This record gives sequence, C-alpha cells and structure tokens, in this order.
Amino acid sequence: MDKEAPMKKGKKKSCITLTPSEIILESISDGVFTVDLDWCITSFNRAAEDITGVSRREAIGRKCSDVFRSSMCGETCSLQQTVKTGTPVIGKSGYIIDSDGNRVPISISTAELRDADGNLIGAAETFRDLSEVEALRNELKGKYQVCDLVSRSPLMLRIFEVLPAMASSPSTVLILGETGTGKELMARTIHSLSARTQGPFITVNSWALPDTLLESELFGYKAGAFTGANKDKPGRFALARGGTLFIDEMGEVSPALQVRLLRVLQERTYEPLGATRTETADVRVIVATSKDLGEQMRKGLFREDLYYRVNVIRIELPPLRRRKEDIPLLVEQFIQRFNRLQQRSVQGITSEALSLLMAYDWPGNIRELENAIERSFILCNTGLIGLGHLPEDLTAHGVMECTESNARSAHDTLDVQSILAALERNDFNRLAAARDIGIHKTTLFRRMKKLGISIPARDGRSDKKH
Amino acid sequence: MKTAFAYWDKRIAPVFDTARQIHVIESRSGRIVCEAPKTLEGDLPIQKALSLYELGVGTLVCGAISKYLNEIVAAYGIRVFPFVAGDLQEVIQAWLKGTLISDAFAMPGCSGRRNFNGTAQDGGRGQRRGGRCRRHMGGAL
Repeated sequence: MDKEAPMKKGKKKSCITLTPSEIILESISDGVFTVDLDWCITSFNRAAEDITGVSRREAIGRKCSDVFRSSMCGETCSLQQTVKTGTPVIGKSGYIIDSDGNRVPISISTAELRDADGNLIGAAETFRDLSEVEALRNELKGKYQVCDLVSRSPLMLRIFEVLPAMASSPSTVLILGETGTGKELMARTIHSLSARTQGPFITVNSWALPDTLLESELFGYKAGAFTGANKDKPGRFALARGGTLFIDEMGEVSPALQVRLLRVLQERTYEPLGATRTETADVRVIVATSKDLGEQMRKGLFREDLYYRVNVIRIELPPLRRRKEDIPLLVEQFIQRFNRLQQRSVQGITSEALSLLMAYDWPGNIRELENAIERSFILCNTGLIGLGHLPEDLTAHGVMECTESNARSAHDTLDVQSILAALERNDFNRLAAARDIGIHKTTLFRRMKKLGISIPARDGRSDKKH
Repeated sequence: MKTAFAYWDKRIAPVFDTARQIHVIESRSGRIVCEAPKTLEGDLPIQKALSLYELGVGTLVCGAISKYLNEIVAAYGIRVFPFVAGDLQEVIQAWLKGTLISDAFAMPGCSGRRNFNGTAQDGGRGQRRGGRCRRHMGGAL
C-alpha cells in the first residue's frame, strides 16, 4: 500500500484513485499497519486510526511500538517474531493503551512483507478491537469477578469497585456480615490484591479458642513462660510477618485481650508471653465479626478505642437473601468445584430445583448453600441436580413435592421477593425498580398485578412531584 | 528526589504496565549525581508502585500507562510524566534540560495540546506537563 496515499485521500478523496487493495484496507473494521525493517510504520489504515486514536499523519514514520502501545510490544513482539522466524502469528490476545489511558482488548495477527522479488521488506500486523466482544462476554457470563469473589449483585458490585483501593491501603479492615456470608474469602481477596500478596495469609478464629489460648496463639510465647512451655512458639502475628492476619469473630474477644490488640494496632509492637523484648508487628490486620460491634460498644462489651481503631475501612457483606441474583452463579461455581473434587460429571441443576433454592431464605447464607449442593452430590452422580436431590430440610421449608405447581410457586415467591426488594431499593419508584430488575415498566406492572403486590399510596414517583 | 525512566531496548518502554526495567537518576542543578538501572519485580500494579516507592522515586517518566496504574502510582505520591517516547539517553538529557515537554518526545496522538504545570523537583528544569494524554491521566499530580 502506498504509504501516504490514504492520508492524501482523506483531504482530496475525489482526486486520488485508490487501488482495489487500498479500498479494501480502508473499508474493513480491522486495524492494519505495515512496518519496515527498522520497525517504523509505513502504512496505517482508517480502522487503525479509530482503534488507537492516533492519526495516520502522526503514525507514519514512527516506531510501531510508540504508536501501537500494546502489552505485546517489547520482548514478546509478534512482528519481530514473525520477521525472525518467518512464521505468522494468528489471533494472539492482549491490549493496547489508547490516548486516554484506557486498556483496549485486542487480538492481533502478523505476516511477513516481501517485495516482488521475494525480498523481505518488513511486516504487516492486523488487529481487532475486542472491546464489544469482551463487554458482551462479560454481560453473558455476568462476569463480575474479583479474584475468587463472583457476584452480579449491585450490593456486591459496589464493594468490588472499592476493593482495589482498600487493598492498596495499609489500614485495618473491618468486615461485617452474618455467618456464612464469605468474610474470610473477602479477607483473602483483599490480601491477594494487596502489596502483601507474596506474604502469608494467617487466620485465627477468636470464637474457637478460649481466651488464654487465644492470647498465646496470637502473640506466641517463650520457653519457660509457663509450665509446659518447653520451647519458643511463634504467634500468629509472627507467622503473618510481611503478610495479612485475619482475626475472625472479633466480637468474641475478651476485654483483657482487647487491650493487647489495641496496643498492637496502635503501636505495631507486641511482646510474646514471657518475652523481655518487644517484637514489631509487620502485618496488615483484617478483622471480621457477625456481631454488631457498635451495639457491643454501647453495652460496654467492646472497647470504644479499639472499635474506632478497627473501624477504619469497613465492608458490610450482604446476606444471601439480599443477593439472590447470585444464587445461580454460586450454584454453578459449587457444582464445578465438587465435580473437580469428587471426580463427578454433574452438568447443572434443573430450573425447578434452582427455583426452590432461590425461594429459600438461606439463614446460613453461602455456606448453607454450599452444603446443600455438596449434599445433593450424594444422590446425584451425573446429569442435573433435581428437586429430589436437594436436602430434605430445604424442601421442608415449603416445597415438599417435586411438582410443577410447587416449582411455579417457588418462582412466584422469588418474583415477589425480587420485585419488593427492587421497589424498596428505589423508594417505590416503579419505573426505577423496573430498570433495576432489567424489565420494561409494563412488564413490572403486569407481574405486580398477577402476584398481588399492592402499590403503596405514596410511591417514588408521587414523592418526586411533591 | 529520584526520577525513574521506564525503558526497553535503550528506548522508553512503550507500555509501563508491562515494563520491567527502569533507569533511576538522582540529579542536582541539571547534572546527574547518581544513576543506576533497576528491575521492577512483580506483575501486579501495586507491586510496581511499591517498588518505585521503595526506591525513593519521586517522578516516573514513562510511555503509555493505563489510568488504573497511573492512579495507584500517584497514590504513593509519585508524579507521573506519561506518554513519552524516544531514545532513553535523549529523554534523560531532555529531562535534565527541562525540554522533555517538546513534541519530539511525545507519543503519537499525545502532542500539541499540553498544559502540564508541574516542575521537575530535582533535575529537570520546569517541565511543563500536559497534552491530551497527560491531562486525561489526571495530570499525574
């Protein structure tokens, strides 16, 4: 392709006659550029301009890596590989950074460029903008994921948004949530995203240990500190050096131990039992509780100064009943995990069984759901998990028989719950609630009528008017 | 305060997100008093930012950088002079002379609209920072 012709054509299109190959290159939606043997750009088509945000005028003659700015530029350059080996690269994935600092996902292919005599004169690269494909894939998969945490619930997505910033801060994190909501997984995720990711992640459950044992577990002891202490034992603070210490059920810690924890969090130092030297606590501390620490503080059961010390960054994990849209995703995840662990080939779950799971309130939250799926694996070896495979205590909560009408009633219960939740979230504004659920407002009205959901006297819309 | 230049093959690395080599200089009155190549360990953005912070880097001169990484580096108090292209030694000299703002060192698509107002604290003499790319990155301070 004549390296300057397409640019001139931009200004005086009518005066320039393009060759068929130039017309094709200008009309396709894939970006195409060619380079000489010094890796300087010799041609740059219209789509390349659109995808990179760099004009042809600016691109021609510049080093391809300065223009293209892809994650593959440098040691893993496909053009160099192709020129060196003569082998084309097809469909390699990566990203480019556009002029606004956005990462644009792309796939590239490369080929040698030879003149009429067969001499190597450079290389050509075609690239495709995968932004839309990626967005669609995310949409289809509902892929809202941070490490092992997966959710499409707006409540969780709000947490996901701030997680990287929380992880990069050295401050103590307080995770609140009912039992089984995934507090430890959240703590692990914060650790994984933090600068301490290479360090250890150490957990300690305050509820599981008596107070004296918990103290020695946390801070360790020196030989001779007490009868039976024959040798030094490092505590969890020492084991977590350079990493993260996760203290679960913080609300169970005794007042005496609260004082010691406060000192560690404030001064970053502690003394193992029987030690004469102070140790430095090089750990990031994450605490969790299923109790209302604020309420405990008001009752005098939890120290006020410690409460404010741990309540620097706070994450409130919603119970599963408030993020039921995640149940299908979680079920799929658990099925995949148990298939792997138990060498099974369970393919999924029937819609009736899923409806039942979604109609249930899950007081034990995600842990209870996981147990339910694990138990269903006892009866279901292959195929789909049906109503009959689910634990009895689940079916006893409403749907006793595996009938279509009960499945429908489970569907209805779910519908009522989702609609009421959406209405509440949107101050009973039905239009906003419909948008929230992702259905048309008339569909919402129809469903509300069918399910007998009454319309409040003053809804969000009437509030707006007043 | 030190200045780090992310490079690859004797040129400014086109993408800082994937760069591993930096050349760190310490300068006074436009002269280098100390310099050394360093390797950035780890692939996570936070590890890159932390490495720079631990090296005492005050300003990072680099090629393209994603918004996300730029924000993390800036969160450590490191000024970012992004979307720079060219030969490493020429870029360092331009930085020391305060002429890095010249379009000659701008990546294609990032020149002509510059309004950076930061100044190089140590060696570079009043690099005015700006340009479309840099403005979008939150100005790197």
